[in-house]
Amino acid sequence: MQRIDATEARDHIEMVDRILAESHQRLCTGGEYFIVWGVISAYVTILADTVGHRGLPASALWTVPVVLLAGALFSIVRGRLTRSVLKRSSLLQREFFNVLWLTLGMAFVADVAVFNIFAGLASAAVWSVAEAIVLLYIGMHGNRRAQIAGVLVVVSLIVANFAHPFAAYILAAGMLVGYAGFGVSELLARD
Amino acid sequence: MDELLLSKVRLGVVAELLSYDWVAFAELARSLDVTGGNLGAHLGKLVEAGYVEEEKNFVNKRPQTRYRLTQRGRDAFADHVSQLQSLIKAL
Repeated sequence: MQRIDATEARDHIEMVDRILAESHQRLCTGGEYFIVWGVISAYVTILADTVGHRGLPASALWTVPVVLLAGALFSIVRGRLTRSVLKRSSLLQREFFNVLWLTLGMAFVADVAVFNIFAGLASAAVWSVAEAIVLLYIGMHGNRRAQIAGVLVVVSLIVANFAHPFAAYILAAGMLVGYAGFGVSELLARD
Repeated sequence: MDELLLSKVRLGVVAELLSYDWVAFAELARSLDVTGGNLGAHLGKLVEAGYVEEEKNFVNKRPQTRYRLTQRGRDAFADHVSQLQSLIKAL
């Protein structure tokens, strides 16, 4: 039977401590997703408002499923490519993706299947809430840019509530500056 | 103490995998600064004991092997480290 003395035990514990200290727990968020979905959500919000209130023909709405499908395809392909080149993936990263897909999935359900309750601007607001949760979750793990971006999206929701004639534009601005803007800042930080 | 984790390389492997969902073989060898052959032998024992799971796939048409810690491995690591600490404190 193999034995170990106290000196070796200390050596082993020090190695374990060093490995655990070096295991960085930064979230690899992927700026591209935020840019794509920030722009898509802003586009859909402005388009729906323009069709509903500013006389654009309803036929223009055919572009909505197209851009949503394009966004979903991009996310799937980019996700598979990213996963294939990664050499390790943290437990925190897996937890983040669970939060991301649950939050955005529920927002998608609210928009597509519960449109009688979340009609008009309510559906855009649901997207903003989902985006704010994702950004603030990243912010909770030490990403200052995500904290600021999350607050910007929350502020856009509150301001939109009190400036109803321009609510769609304010929500879209929150999606672009907060969500897509965070994606741009992540890409710039990575480079 | 856990006989399997008395090896510094095997303990290092489990410690490396602790915070990760999975880690690729080459990355483990780089982090632990061991040769592929040496690491492969140690990983084989950990897989056989059910402490670590092995997943083989292809990345850019090249084979890649990834490893993840099982709950059994996680429990064994916690017990083993606790006993190492007791041994140090006993002095």
